[in-house]
Amino acid sequence: MAENVRVVGDTLPGADLNAPLLEVDDLRVEFRVRGKRIPAVRGASFTLERGRTLAVVGESGSGKSVTSQAIMGILDTPPGYVTGGEVRLHGVDLLKQGEETRRTVRGNHIAIVFQDALSALNPLWSVGFQIGELYRVHRGTSRADARKRAIELLDLVGIPDAKNRVGHYPHQFSGGMRQRVMIAMALALDPEVLIADEPTTALDVTVQAQIMRLLKQIQDDRHMGLILITHDLGVVADVADEVAVMYAGEVVERASIHDAFKRPAHPYTKALLRAIPRVDTVGRELEVIPGLPPNPASLPSGCPFHPRCWAADPEKCSTEAPPYEEVAEDHRALCHFAKEVYRDER
Amino acid sequence: MGRYVIRRLLQALLTLFITLFLLHYLTALSVQIRGNPALLFFGGERTPDPAMLAQVERLYGLDNNCYERPGDPCLVPFVERLQNYAAGDFGTTLQGNRDVGELLSIYIPNTLRLFIFSTITLVVLAMLLGTWAARHRGGLIDHTVRGTTILIDSIPVFLILLAYVYIMAVPLTNWARDIWGTESFMGQLFRPNYNPDYPWTTIIIPGIIVGTVGLATLTRLVRASQLENIGSDFVRTARAKGLKKSRITVVHVVRNSMIPIVTGVGYTFAFALSGAVLTEGVMGIPGMGRMIFQAVQRQETNLVIVGLTVTAVVVVLVTLVVDLLYAVLDPRIRYD
Repeated sequence: MAENVRVVGDTLPGADLNAPLLEVDDLRVEFRVRGKRIPAVRGASFTLERGRTLAVVGESGSGKSVTSQAIMGILDTPPGYVTGGEVRLHGVDLLKQGEETRRTVRGNHIAIVFQDALSALNPLWSVGFQIGELYRVHRGTSRADARKRAIELLDLVGIPDAKNRVGHYPHQFSGGMRQRVMIAMALALDPEVLIADEPTTALDVTVQAQIMRLLKQIQDDRHMGLILITHDLGVVADVADEVAVMYAGEVVERASIHDAFKRPAHPYTKALLRAIPRVDTVGRELEVIPGLPPNPASLPSGCPFHPRCWAADPEKCSTEAPPYEEVAEDHRALCHFAKEVYRDER
Repeated sequence: MGRYVIRRLLQALLTLFITLFLLHYLTALSVQIRGNPALLFFGGERTPDPAMLAQVERLYGLDNNCYERPGDPCLVPFVERLQNYAAGDFGTTLQGNRDVGELLSIYIPNTLRLFIFSTITLVVLAMLLGTWAARHRGGLIDHTVRGTTILIDSIPVFLILLAYVYIMAVPLTNWARDIWGTESFMGQLFRPNYNPDYPWTTIIIPGIIVGTVGLATLTRLVRASQLENIGSDFVRTARAKGLKKSRITVVHVVRNSMIPIVTGVGYTFAFALSGAVLTEGVMGIPGMGRMIFQAVQRQETNLVIVGLTVTAVVVVLVTLVVDLLYAVLDPRIRYD
């Protein structure tokens, strides 16, 4: 992929290669529906460095997919609006860039793999066309050369007989193979950041493991930053370096994967970890988090997790919004009792 | 693909055969119940000499006994007629004894020209307006497009035609004639009636007017199917790939919304014949619509049958083309 090496400043003016790869700082997104403003992301912050994997974990509706769409700049507007914060790529705030720059960033610098590859691929075009399209639009490559590149990529992501498969249509592939096509498409322009939005949710378990291995291997080869969005902490454990746990549009805990698993500082993270089915707990009843995720249109007062929290103080947690507590180096949690939970005292 | 095409072809042939038989059976029934159309040859009032009547009956293929037995499907004349059609023999008219094949060679091209212009108008307008409305969903443009098309579609086509002929055609023709002269494209374009010396030019305006029939329906169809695709996951993927808005519309939205649109166009095309009856009448175009209308009025049984046969063939052909277009557009149908 020698010809893919390029100067970042060409497509992203003002880029500072000493700055962190991707910083999301106090990102806020809301949906405006019939005059009502519904907050979907309420100040999410995290940092991604080259070659690292950040897992963004949360229940459905916690704002993790909306965050990824806001980073990409592909939020449906209306109804979704980014109302605050910064998304800095190499130090450049993408949210302040014009549509043309943002368009160039997509695919070139940041790429995304969606959950359901069957609906995320256009049923009427061959996979070769859909992959080659990136080269033709961003690099002005000829149709024949784009096809050659597509074959190389399909080969790279482990699709057998890529030469013949390149002309096939999405419906002619199995679920796992389709997800590989999605990954090939995301890798086409050798992006620095790859966002994988629940890349294995629609697949069966053995295929899930294959796809995760593929993502990990590609990331190692290319030294990309990978954001892995998932609701499955079990998937995260083997591949992620850091984890950001989201709840009701906020990042409630940020830590290295090791710390988060070993000594969670937020009651929600702790509850999530207990809810993972494990071989050594076979036969015992699986723990669940009581209640439902809150409705973003009417969030509980104080800490939005307090109605479901086993550690909550009925007075304090229902009235005061919790602060970010730094419980250890690079380990923060959004909880009144973070230190106590961290030390296992509550 | 091959099997799909063969299956559609066989279906088309079967449909055509059944249609032709029903047509034959209905006309046979009308002869059996209403009486002998050969009498018309003699003016309808006098009682002709039986020998002469028999001769005329033979001439028009009415000499079979089955025509005297109500309910008899008259298979023998049916097969005979199909054989004649296959040999290019469409018989003659009762009045004037004109060769029907010759009439068709004049009428069919005129109606086809009318259909070509009206279909182009309809498709181009509906695609442009529908795409435009879809891209500005919920906005002023969207509402204006939907309102205007429904307004145009609610005005009966003959009213637009008459308004054109009586109000616009003459001043426009005079104006064009003064600038470009009578024997020019512009000089002929606005004429209020058909001119056999300019069979293409003088059919453009009637074609455009017929093309507004069904405009509202097709525009809404285009708009709805594009909106469905604009909100789809693969359009989100296309945006994530950093494609330009225009490319997303053309490559990922328009083609995907073509299937319902192609269906709609095929449907309107089949319906356009009824529009053709009025248009050909008002604008004096010798075409199939006017021919069938007059044939029914004058009890020209043979002419009615031939006219409706041609119509049936056209409808079946258009349906076949629509089916084949599906396969061209959608690989999921192609490789079923």
